[in-house]
Amino acid sequence: MIIKVDREKCAGHARCWALAPELFELDDEGYVLPGDILVPPGQEALAGRATRACPERALSIGED
Amino acid sequence: MASQPKVPDHVPAHCVGAFNLYKSPEMRPTPFGDPFAAVAKLLDGPSVFYSPETTRDGQGAWIVTTAEEQRNVLQDGASYSSFRRIFSSAIGEDWPVIPLELDPPEHGKYRSMLNPLLSPKRVAALEPFVTAKAVELIEGLKARGTSAEVMTEFAFPLAVSVFLAFLGIPDDRLMEFVGWANELLHMGPAERTAAAHKVLNFLEGMIAQRKEEPAEDFMTFLVQAQVEGRPLTDQEIRSIAVLLFIGGLDTVATAIGLDLYFLARNPDRQQELRDNPAIMPSAVEEMLRAFPSVTPIRTATRDMDLGGCPIKKGDLVSCPSMASSRDPAEFPDPNTIDFNREDNRHTAFSYGPHRCLGSHLARREIIIALNEWFARIPPFRIKEGTAPVTFGGFVFGVENLVLDWS
Repeated sequence: MIIKVDREKCAGHARCWALAPELFELDDEGYVLPGDILVPPGQEALAGRATRACPERALSIGED
Repeated sequence: MASQPKVPDHVPAHCVGAFNLYKSPEMRPTPFGDPFAAVAKLLDGPSVFYSPETTRDGQGAWIVTTAEEQRNVLQDGASYSSFRRIFSSAIGEDWPVIPLELDPPEHGKYRSMLNPLLSPKRVAALEPFVTAKAVELIEGLKARGTSAEVMTEFAFPLAVSVFLAFLGIPDDRLMEFVGWANELLHMGPAERTAAAHKVLNFLEGMIAQRKEEPAEDFMTFLVQAQVEGRPLTDQEIRSIAVLLFIGGLDTVATAIGLDLYFLARNPDRQQELRDNPAIMPSAVEEMLRAFPSVTPIRTATRDMDLGGCPIKKGDLVSCPSMASSRDPAEFPDPNTIDFNREDNRHTAFSYGPHRCLGSHLARREIIIALNEWFARIPPFRIKEGTAPVTFGGFVFGVENLVLDWS
């Protein structure tokens, strides 16, 4: 499983990072780093929750 | 006989709605009111409708109710411009507050400069100050008795002193600043103009002083900051300082007040937080969703269709956060306040590039305020014989909130 990041839509709410700091990394401005995120086995549910927490719909789940 | 409010020719009659953010019954000051429930009812109707005289200065605007359509508007700075001159027009000048009244890409260069100062990681450094201030204020009002008007004795002094500390402004004139904010945000044109002059004169004095004597604060950061490889102009500095000053004065205190207003009337929900203090961050997010206070407004830059309505270039488009945050398509059972709500992508801090710059500081402050309140104050209620007054309009809120824990 991967998390697809639409960096253009990220507005720095950082709700993903608040829920799952182990999955998401923020830049110095507090915005998610660009590029897909590979979800380690066992963290799929957390990845789903963090993805659904994005007010901008900048995150989505995909297959690696 | 009252004259009919004016509706522009291009607005079809079936697109005109009866609701008004300022004048509808629950939007006016109301004892024990619930303006949020009144706005939530809009979700039973169309996703977009036209409301005559629904801005502070009596202009008509399209009101967008659903989360999806608000996202479409607020994420699209090319079609929906933030270009307004609310502050400067009050003093007969013409400049944007930065970055709020700028559009991308101009907006982005200032935003990138400011974002690091208020990132989630950076605001963590302010927590000890916030906590100490909250404890001092609560212990102070506890020492004075078993009831308090918490807006003036707790919420405002806390929010404003944190913000003044961030900006580098001493808090010995704290309540004077709160008065200015009230005049700017909640009163008529004459008071607004006078207050705008007072804010600007004060900030200009601060800016001049920090140029002479740099300190470790936001004002010093501004006078030393670079954008596109050059220092900020004096006009840019005052435009940013004004926004930060106003932004920090009202909304955080309002959020704390609205949360305490809800909790005071719902002892079982207080108990829920006392039984399980660990849910406070999630409870605060949920109360931000249920009781947000701000309505972003944009100006259409072209003719277009929105939610089946014909928007014309130049029309105002209003996106009340208290509507989208109660959208059943986005939040199951939206009028139930669930402290453990999942997928809480609420709109209290707006959508898109103008997402509230201070949002991470704001949510930390609210969490700390409520944590310290619950740690120190036993079960509380609205003091008998008093009536808190809620209001809608430019920034929703509550006043005369006298809590009793005797």
